[in-house]
Amino acid sequence: MIEYKGVYKAFDEPVLSGVDLRVESGEMFALFGPSGTGKSVLLKTTLALIVPDRGDVCIDNQSVHFGGRGTLARIREKVGYVFQYAALFDSLNVFENIRMGLPEATLKRMTEKEVAHKAWEALELVNLEPRMILSKLPAELSGGMKKRVGIARAIVGRPEILLWDEPTTGLDPVNTAAVERLITQLSEELQVTSLLVTHDVEGGLEMCDRVAMLEGGRLRFCGTPEEFKNSDDPVVQAFENRAAAYAAIDVLDVR
Amino acid sequence: MNGNNPSANTAMPVPLQAVLAPVGRVAHTVAVHAGEIAILLWKVGRAYTEFRVSVREIARQVYIIGVQSIPIVIVTAGLAGIVTSQQGGYQFTGSIPLYVMGSVVTQSIVLEMGPVLTAIVLVGRVGARITAELGTMKVSEQIDALYSVGRDPIEMLAAPRILAGIIALPLLVGIANLFGILAGMYTAELTMGLGQESFFYGARLFWHSWDLLYSLLKGVAFGFVIPTIAIHMGLRTGGGAAGVGLQTTQSVMFMTLTILIVDAMFPPLFL
Repeated sequence: MIEYKGVYKAFDEPVLSGVDLRVESGEMFALFGPSGTGKSVLLKTTLALIVPDRGDVCIDNQSVHFGGRGTLARIREKVGYVFQYAALFDSLNVFENIRMGLPEATLKRMTEKEVAHKAWEALELVNLEPRMILSKLPAELSGGMKKRVGIARAIVGRPEILLWDEPTTGLDPVNTAAVERLITQLSEELQVTSLLVTHDVEGGLEMCDRVAMLEGGRLRFCGTPEEFKNSDDPVVQAFENRAAAYAAIDVLDVR
Repeated sequence: MNGNNPSANTAMPVPLQAVLAPVGRVAHTVAVHAGEIAILLWKVGRAYTEFRVSVREIARQVYIIGVQSIPIVIVTAGLAGIVTSQQGGYQFTGSIPLYVMGSVVTQSIVLEMGPVLTAIVLVGRVGARITAELGTMKVSEQIDALYSVGRDPIEMLAAPRILAGIIALPLLVGIANLFGILAGMYTAELTMGLGQESFFYGARLFWHSWDLLYSLLKGVAFGFVIPTIAIHMGLRTGGGAAGVGLQTTQSVMFMTLTILIVDAMFPPLFL
């Protein structure tokens, strides 16, 4: 379970103005919102990649920001993070990148053969051919492949929670659909709690159990996809309509 | 009228404000950088004391910072020796005994040019590279990715580089001193006909054994300064490719300035 408690963060201007949100265990949750409303910032506070000015985030009732180094290390072990542009380590090949997804303590207990097996398994889960790709550098991969390797790195340690930061950004509609299928498939197979930050409203509504919308650093809506679609909040409606229009343009581009 | 307006008496005159505002901004920037560097060094120190720094990575960084810099350091020091010798010859011929050239070249190289020129070369070759590398990792979220998989970038990236700098720089300074003096000696022989024995006689005349230690100590200080500033600047990069370029430029500027300031502090402290 992930719980955001009054998370406030300002850079020059406030980005998050006291966000309270609870994502239940095993739930698939999507967070929508226009650009610059602090979706990614909120996601990053979950692993203390950004420290909020006020408030806290709790994972399974353990404080991320006030629990100390040991607690944070344990939390990071059970959370996988998929970055917007994969964030693969340039100087490491695919195998070494995925290897980094395993906690240090786990690596010490494993033989290199076992690590290779884990990496192989993770690549197969994201529908990549390990034999073809393991020794390649990130620079040799396409955008879609990088994203999948990034997902493989996030799931190789078998996390209990997966955080997805705009997993379909920059992908063409075909790859977008493939990655969305992958998100659903992985969430079901690995039985993880998924928190998805996305612009893709249509995909998010289709995949997730609950959705929320951030607007101006505050939570504007939180509910089921049905409630979102039927919301009479003009801001939610306008956002949904605009998102639908962009989705239509994407489909036309493919045709 | 002014007597009725309390702010009129307390308001700062405009010209004074114009002078103090930039001073305040610079002071604020210096304080922010100093604070961030102090935190960085505290974390680096903790990584050393908890033995969480890979020896293999330190060795790799010593190779990159030290061994790979040897050719450019030799060339730079050699040219410095040649120039010092030629300038000295031009100034001293006919005025004072030529063997003094040995002392001039040796002392210039060991006390000043060897350490400082080596450091300046390494600012460009190593410091800029570290800032650009870490800056790129920062803007492409690779630093965040390291944290997310439970690895500490300070332990993996910062601590090995700083220790490698402290190890490699004094060794490079030693090499620079040797080749600078040799180049100066051969130049004095070729251009002024000053024999090697006379050169070394002059060199020994004003030599103090502390001088070499002083030179290597400068190497240690510069070896600490270059990677520390480079890492600090790299890790606070933002704003994409343009941000990396800007941060690298600023980093080179800060490193060069800091080296010259540290160099200026050495004589009153140690000589």
